[in-house]
Amino acid sequence: MIPATQLLNEIVTSLREVIAPAVADPYPKAQAYMAAVILEFVVRQVQERSDIEARKHEVMLELVGDLTPLPGMNGLVRGDHLSEEGLCDLIEHLYAARDRLGAETFAVANRRVREALRQLLNQDLKVAGKAEG
Amino acid sequence: MAGDRTVQEKIAGYLESKLPRAKDLALSDFVHSAGGWSHEIYLFYANWIEDGRAMRQGFCLRKDPGAGLLRELSSLREQFGVIKALEATPAPTPKAYWYEEDPSLLGGPFFVMEKVEGDVPNPWSRAGKQFYAEAAKRGKLPRSFIEALAALHNLDWRAAGLDFLGVPGAGKDFVLREIAKWESLIHQSSRKPEPVLTELLMWLKANAPEAKRLGFVHGAYRTGNLIIHDDAIAAVIDWELQVIGDPMYDVAYVLSDLNREGSPLLSCVVEREFFLDYYQQLTGLTVDLEVCRYYEILYMMRSTAFWLSASGLFADGRNKDLRLARTTYSVPVVLDMAAKALGF
Repeated sequence: MIPATQLLNEIVTSLREVIAPAVADPYPKAQAYMAAVILEFVVRQVQERSDIEARKHEVMLELVGDLTPLPGMNGLVRGDHLSEEGLCDLIEHLYAARDRLGAETFAVANRRVREALRQLLNQDLKVAGKAEG
Repeated sequence: MAGDRTVQEKIAGYLESKLPRAKDLALSDFVHSAGGWSHEIYLFYANWIEDGRAMRQGFCLRKDPGAGLLRELSSLREQFGVIKALEATPAPTPKAYWYEEDPSLLGGPFFVMEKVEGDVPNPWSRAGKQFYAEAAKRGKLPRSFIEALAALHNLDWRAAGLDFLGVPGAGKDFVLREIAKWESLIHQSSRKPEPVLTELLMWLKANAPEAKRLGFVHGAYRTGNLIIHDDAIAAVIDWELQVIGDPMYDVAYVLSDLNREGSPLLSCVVEREFFLDYYQQLTGLTVDLEVCRYYEILYMMRSTAFWLSASGLFADGRNKDLRLARTTYSVPVVLDMAAKALGF
């Protein structure tokens, strides 16, 4: 998702450069400009939800902890934590190593990765509105 | 708007150059449609005198805005070529008139086609849903919906000259090409890594089915991309994602939950069993529901790519359309559907 402050700044630009100039009626035109002004203040008030990033970090720490002991995972799981980019790499490497790992180990690792993915997704859904915030 | 008046004058001037026998040409009922996400669309009538007779013709002009959606995946030249090729076939499509590459005319490439009489009720709106539900009860539109799709799939696409779209090889080539196409869009537009999307992509590649037959595939066949007149499909539009590929790809799109938002009817207009029976009867094809399920999941990846591209255009400041900004919140929702489809 686009970070909230960046999104708000783009909306301010859109209100000021696209929407307001296109409105002929003076009252809604002034309202559009005023909305831009207010949103600029709101930008300063808004903070990204740090609890979401903290929970994501925990989920990935737990994932690494659970994957590391699995047979054949040496080299696939590096270090003791993961970024989301690192998790993408791990998923790609898991599929690439599927034959070497064997069907059973791959299934166990993939199931565990998917559990983590579900938890990460649930964090994003707190903002996107399809889960309890 | 003043800007639109200028465009209107330019378009009138362009038409005069294309209709040299026309005198006193003027445009009327000029509408700059807000419908398109990927192109600017202008609808209007041209009125002129030719050989002493009053003439009136409806036109639709589709213009490349420069930073629209799917710019990387489709070109106006290709769209024009497809519509032109379809003119001589039973597929219901507008007539294609002129394609122009020269940006000095309107500020970007554009083409002009027939304005087909009819409406495109928005299936996501309350009024649109009601229209389709009532049309479904009348019965004519659901049949026409299936007949138009069957007309596309029954096409001799080589004879129609559509092989310029690229012809996949045997086996999994079609699916793998399709995945690669959308993955490329993801790489161009993704602002941060999406691990769920990575898992989805890897699963799709690992489980790609073989296409049993190649046909002409629209790529986004649903209500909202169809002009309806008198409860029949007057024209199939939005020729942006067409490919030579597995016809089940279109069938899966019709079957998909993505296109009915709570309606019990496929694409908000047709009963599932009737669709399957009548489509198979008209095409002679057997619908492979397992393959369709795979394609439904591929569509979820495609939707994610689409929303990432849309929100990316807005976030980069390349397109100010607020509808694009909204799509940033659609990404987790579609990924949630995909994850559930994959069992997690």
